[in-house]
Amino acid sequence: MSHTVDPNSKPPSKELWLGTIAMTPLSIAVAPWGFLVGAYALEVGLSPLEAQSLSLFVFAGTSQLVALGLLQAQAGFVAIMLTTALITSRHLLYSMALRDKISPLPARWRYGLGFLLTDELFVHTPSNDGKPLNKWYALGAGLSFYIAWNLATLLGILAGSAIPNLTELGLEFAVVATFTAMLVPMIRSLAIACCCATASTVAVLGAVMDWQAGLLLAILSGMFAGFIFEQAQEYLQ
Amino acid sequence: MIALTLAAMALLVFASRYLFLEPRLPIELGPKLRRLMGYATPAVLSAVIAPMVLSHQGELVTDWQNPYLLGAIAAVLIMLLTKNTLLSTVLSMVLFVMLKFWLFA
Repeated sequence: MSHTVDPNSKPPSKELWLGTIAMTPLSIAVAPWGFLVGAYALEVGLSPLEAQSLSLFVFAGTSQLVALGLLQAQAGFVAIMLTTALITSRHLLYSMALRDKISPLPARWRYGLGFLLTDELFVHTPSNDGKPLNKWYALGAGLSFYIAWNLATLLGILAGSAIPNLTELGLEFAVVATFTAMLVPMIRSLAIACCCATASTVAVLGAVMDWQAGLLLAILSGMFAGFIFEQAQEYLQ
Repeated sequence: MIALTLAAMALLVFASRYLFLEPRLPIELGPKLRRLMGYATPAVLSAVIAPMVLSHQGELVTDWQNPYLLGAIAAVLIMLLTKNTLLSTVLSMVLFVMLKFWLFA
């Protein structure tokens, strides 16, 4: 085994708890969003069981929300899969960044932590600071977030079945609030700003022009805009 | 049909999260592709937020009295000033609810 044992690591139960505590702000912040996903799924026509299954098995807020929007717009299977593939592609980067730390672990740990590897968990997992990863800490952070997300979805399903048109209350602002808070610290270069501006413009254009593949186009053009900007900057230097 | 879509989505998402955690995987992404993928997260976040803030039912929003727009601006400002995720999320949501159901109602 190549991974070393951190001499500062505490007993598993303590690390689980520390991970849970560290994740608490995001677990709270994500609650309205989980609630929205539950209530919205019913409105789109999913059964309560299907709605909960989305959060239990897919466990990816953006993909869930976007897929529900596409289902509501009567988009086909292929369109949903292509969009999901593009939205979820960023997770490839997270697993790549954590490869050295997680791949030496036993299979059940790899599968477990892999399943729990959300944007939020990645933000809370030291990826390249040289310190060994404490698997119990990561499990505490990931699992507590998973439970919070699913409880929020359950509440959304319960409320959604009791109160019709719940989603018209403007719950989707929870997504705007959460994503904005995650996005702002990410904009550290002109290239990233260029990526965001392009993705936003194409996405709004797609919404106004009612393009089926609007989101897909927006994400791709944003990624290429940032990349080309960065390459041009390097070329000019 | 929904069940199939759900299962395929679950597989796709898990595969993307797990792929590079598999020790037997011999490949690595090249540096160019890696950098391109580095823009995926900000691109996804922007592409999801922007239409929610700037359009409503397929129409461009030009009115400043838009709770989504003002709420998003508040979230950006609070985040820049405090760098506190929870504070920014909660305060901007409170502002949004006040604007939507009280001031602009």
